[in-house]
Amino acid sequence: MRPVDLVRKLRREAAVKPAALDRGKAALMAAIRQEVQPMRRPTIVPRLPYENVGAALSFLESAFGFREIPAARGVRADGAIDHTMVEFGDGMVGLGAQGAHGAFSPKRVGTTTQYITVHVDDIDAHHQRALASGAEIVSRLHDHLRDYRVYEALDPEGHRWRFLQWLREVPQ
Amino acid sequence: MNSPSDAEVIRRSLGEPETFGLVYDRHAATVLRFLGRRVGAGVAEGLVGELFRIAFERRKTFDGSRVSALPWLYGIGSNLLLKHRRGEARRLRANARMAVREAPDRRASAAALDARLLFPRVADAIEALPDGEREALLLFAWEDLSYQSVAEALELPIGTVRSRLNRARAHLRELLKPGGKNRERSR
Repeated sequence: MRPVDLVRKLRREAAVKPAALDRGKAALMAAIRQEVQPMRRPTIVPRLPYENVGAALSFLESAFGFREIPAARGVRADGAIDHTMVEFGDGMVGLGAQGAHGAFSPKRVGTTTQYITVHVDDIDAHHQRALASGAEIVSRLHDHLRDYRVYEALDPEGHRWRFLQWLREVPQ
Repeated sequence: MNSPSDAEVIRRSLGEPETFGLVYDRHAATVLRFLGRRVGAGVAEGLVGELFRIAFERRKTFDGSRVSALPWLYGIGSNLLLKHRRGEARRLRANARMAVREAPDRRASAAALDARLLFPRVADAIEALPDGEREALLLFAWEDLSYQSVAEALELPIGTVRSRLNRARAHLRELLKPGGKNRERSR
């Protein structure tokens, strides 16, 4: 058998989920909107201190599906990321080196002093992804009073994230 | 009704960025399957949005004389996959195991090696190819791209694609020979 035919024998399909296509489209359109409306800023923007901003960013992107806003990145002389922003849906969070603005990482101070709620469209898929990326789940995925489905996870430095999907329409 | 070519859509998206969503609608399924074949559905899911985001950022550099954007998208995907070499290798080996299970009659093979030995060695041989050769080969053999499309994807002259594929074939023959270079690389 010719080499190329042998190579063809190893071709295998992977399952393609329509939801995966939708998520990719959402990621793309979010990026496009960012270009269209570079001045878009939510009214309240929490900022979280980290010992290692680069590692935190990688984790937040892979585990929680947050997206960095590249224009927001500030880099130190040694090449490490000093601060940046991530967005998810219409929310935005800043990540910055601890010590600046008098704020320190839970990893350093030994305790969490706040947590952030993030609304997601598909909590089970989100939970799976977080698990697969090694997030520490501190409150298991469960339904709360038939209102919403929720879980809580710590990022590598101990900031606490609460992910939630409403199970029914809620009045605005 | 004439729908605009990819080149036309991309040109329009320079002034109206949201138009670029149409490029996604047209090609995302194909691209997602391509990524899935290489690194599995899970990783591919994470990559497809990133791939199109990169394409969007680079849309000014798209060569408007090309009718289809697909080879260009394959090229961006190929670059992204370089960061996922370990996942690719795992998947290749898994594919080899499946190919062994599906082989109809191992004894009927004219090859000296039966499927059980052959397919894992094909996987290892693909894995052992230099990046440029492996990429050209897989775009050609798995994605059924023409030489011209592989050339567009990898941004190479068509002659270079031809010689890369020839080298890849020669390498594979060498690696698959009984007693070939990678015989000890059993897993």
